[in-house]
Amino acid sequence: MSQPTDLLDKAMAQLHVTAKSSSAYESGPMKVVGKSAQRLDAVDKATGKTKYGQDLFDKKFLFAKVLRAAFPHAEILDIDTRGAKKLPGVIAVLTHKDVTGTNMHGLIRRDQEVLCSKKVRYMGDAIAIVVAKDEETAVAALKKIKVDYKPLPAVLTMEDALKPDAPKIHAEGNVLGEKHLRRGDAPKAMSEADVVVEDVIQTQTCDHAFLDLEAGRARWDGKMLTIEVPGQWLHEERRLIALALGLPLEKLRIIQPATGGAFGGREDISIQIYLGLAAVKLKGKTICMRYSRGESMIARHKRHPIRVHYKLGAKKDGTLVAAQITFYVDKGAYASTGIAVMRKASSHATGPYKVPNVWVDVIGVFTNNNPCGAMRGFGAAQTAIAYEGLMDRLAVKLGMDKAELRMKNLIKSGDAVTTGQIVPHATGVECFEAVLKKIDWKHRSYETPAPHLKRGYGVSIVCFGLGYGDGFPDASRARCKLTQDGIVEVYSSGIDVGQGLINMVSQIAAEEVGVPLEKVRPILADTLLTPESGSSSATRQTYFTGSAVQLAASELKKQLQDIAAAHLEELVYEIKIENGEAYNVFRPQKRMTLKELAREGKKRGFSLDALSVYKPPTMPEDTKTGQSMRAFVTYLFGSHVCQLLVDTETGEVKIERYIACHDVGKAINPDQVIGQIQGGVTQGIGMALMEEVVMKDGKIMNPGFTDYILPTIRDVPEIECIILENPDPGGPFGARGIGEPPLIGCGPAILSAIYDAIGKPIRELPATPERVWRTIQTTP
Amino acid sequence: MKTKTVAAVYDRRKKTNGRRSQSAATADHWPLQFKLNGKTVAKKVKPTQTLLDFLRIELGLTGTKGACLEGECGSCYVLVDGKPMNSCMMLAPQVQGREVVTIEGLAHGKKLDVIQQKFVECGAVQCGYCTPGLIMAAKALLAENPHPSREEFLVGMEGNICRCTGYNKIMRACEQAADEMGLKKK
Repeated sequence: MSQPTDLLDKAMAQLHVTAKSSSAYESGPMKVVGKSAQRLDAVDKATGKTKYGQDLFDKKFLFAKVLRAAFPHAEILDIDTRGAKKLPGVIAVLTHKDVTGTNMHGLIRRDQEVLCSKKVRYMGDAIAIVVAKDEETAVAALKKIKVDYKPLPAVLTMEDALKPDAPKIHAEGNVLGEKHLRRGDAPKAMSEADVVVEDVIQTQTCDHAFLDLEAGRARWDGKMLTIEVPGQWLHEERRLIALALGLPLEKLRIIQPATGGAFGGREDISIQIYLGLAAVKLKGKTICMRYSRGESMIARHKRHPIRVHYKLGAKKDGTLVAAQITFYVDKGAYASTGIAVMRKASSHATGPYKVPNVWVDVIGVFTNNNPCGAMRGFGAAQTAIAYEGLMDRLAVKLGMDKAELRMKNLIKSGDAVTTGQIVPHATGVECFEAVLKKIDWKHRSYETPAPHLKRGYGVSIVCFGLGYGDGFPDASRARCKLTQDGIVEVYSSGIDVGQGLINMVSQIAAEEVGVPLEKVRPILADTLLTPESGSSSATRQTYFTGSAVQLAASELKKQLQDIAAAHLEELVYEIKIENGEAYNVFRPQKRMTLKELAREGKKRGFSLDALSVYKPPTMPEDTKTGQSMRAFVTYLFGSHVCQLLVDTETGEVKIERYIACHDVGKAINPDQVIGQIQGGVTQGIGMALMEEVVMKDGKIMNPGFTDYILPTIRDVPEIECIILENPDPGGPFGARGIGEPPLIGCGPAILSAIYDAIGKPIRELPATPERVWRTIQTTP
Repeated sequence: MKTKTVAAVYDRRKKTNGRRSQSAATADHWPLQFKLNGKTVAKKVKPTQTLLDFLRIELGLTGTKGACLEGECGSCYVLVDGKPMNSCMMLAPQVQGREVVTIEGLAHGKKLDVIQQKFVECGAVQCGYCTPGLIMAAKALLAENPHPSREEFLVGMEGNICRCTGYNKIMRACEQAADEMGLKKK
């Protein structure tokens, strides 16, 4: 089984090495990659000059507002907009009748109407758009729209949704889909296991809570519809909007303003489509729109709450033999990226542990709650909480040290993960050893300042498949060009949502061409100017776009070497470009600057412009068994350890120490890698201890930061980061990625530590003081 | 500087028996005068407009950000008479006769304020949306207390939410700014 994958990997590695190295005389330390260069956009951000979506408004523009559903589940009998239209200052009131395209959108399935025509399925469903001279008038007009509903029974829980007589949320029923994974013979192996542990774990609905609320503007001049709204995948948004509104693709341009966080929350389409519709109807007018925090939370998709039934069997010595897992995934009202999230849950069901017999069923169930879709961790975060939780229960039952149990079962290089994919460079053990060493695991102390305070230590290990995988045509494109003023321009549609993509692409281009960072000008995320780079999600931008940029930069460099060789009358393979100058390595006195190269190129009729695409293949998972030789392009490893105190009188948790180790292949910018780790861990703290969207009768009860509790500076300890660099043959300069794994590792490490402290597992997230206290009081 | 107080403006309205002219929008607007980033601003303002919207929409100073719009996240902090205030929770007329400093008022030309400089150097800026508010919080804290203890730092900064960085680098930036400001004073 391992042979073909191994060969494929070697072939891939070979391919990339050949493609990326450009000169025989490339050696010596790297000058830009691996350096913590200052963020290129930091000064503008720190002085308030950066323009985010809401900073593009002007009083002379028109304002749009959306009317949302009044019921979580209802038929629409009639929409009467006459009253609203009469209000002074109202320019237009639009309903589904004004949409000339399919009126449907959705990332994987087009199952959501832009403006609902017959039915609403959750409280965030949009029914009408008002465009008015100002925001206040638009809000007033919304109240004048009369919608005649026939309320239907709302389906609020997965149990209710799965009942045979349950009201159907979608015509095809209440099951979005199922996902299965079969490996070995799990029932048989389970019956023969020496020790079996079993539990049910329920994760919660989380909100992305990015600070920069959905906002932007759009304008239709008769030739081009220009939309300036932050998203995570401009080209996909362009496709969806073009189809829904019935516009030719080439008449639609999306420009990304600066973006204040995304975390998956900008993957599903939001105000782009409403703005687009309003603009098309009002030629020559610029339309603005912004959500309030409440509307943002009500309209947007969420992290899937998942109920995991997990059964884990092992031999007496702790060797895992079988896992039987069922995931019930509350999809909310629409499919969104649910199928992909479900697949991520199944393919990561046993995480970094070697389990020969696995049986996984994932069932995605529609309800009338908020649709659930992408959020940092994407199904793998919930799954990690389950598998690490069960490993802890198993360690207790076996009377074994939990670190030892994990070490025994971790996959090593050449082992297969649950999908059957061989991982050629598995570094989970290295990461785990690093954190255990740092905290001095063997000598950990349970001594506390007072008897009602209990200390606990938790561990987790992450093994995360990067990219979309599953045979999806996952690709990133880039372009590098030398301008006449000697600047290397890098074009990519990769989106800097705050993670630092701007530095990643610039540092890679600078290193590859051989120029200082200040000679690189990144031009990002504008569908008219930049080639498609896929989404800023799935931890894929460094690996995919980084590689594409490196390939384009390498091609540009070859063109520059050709020019230099011709002009200096030297051999091309002896030309080196370093610090922005080209010279012969043996005769360095004759040199050409970038400007001279550009001028010389122009004189000779060369464009000095290189395009690239990076598209490493994956293979689809088998529909029955979930097996695939290459479900993901590569795997990322990390490990966390957490030391905390539980106040058994109040249930409060205080994190005393947190250590996170991640193997990133190569840190293109180490400071930014640390930023991603610390930020991911902090979101993990939120997910583990405090964040929860509370739903009642389909309505969000806490749609604002007063009641949706987020970690503050007081909740976050010093997060000690360890970066490992085991290069990946497919990534730029060996880099892998870092976006999601820090969040995935955090939740389980904290819950593991609480279990260690109080001796009882938390089965329902988040572990709020009340829940911890009740667990201490009541759970057997 | 002689300026009318909010109460005085309100009294004037009462004298007209609260009558409002439907057609003349200006009748709904109150005169407002205050000091903004060192310069006097005199402008008519809708009394129901938040200070945040007034700064951003009427004056075009978009450096101050709105995120939660209910006084929980500190993204909209401005200094009012030196105190950090949630500008989303203040109405514009409340700054009548007072002194307001926004993020745009910190740097001198290209020379950044020490706190801005440290945020940039320490990598405390990621998506950047919370950054102006955090810098204003730190500015107020360090102006009042040049040598805060760790606990005092936490008290000064816990009104701000950052969703990206995990706060570690923000803390370092503030500590380094305090150190540098301390050195300068010596």
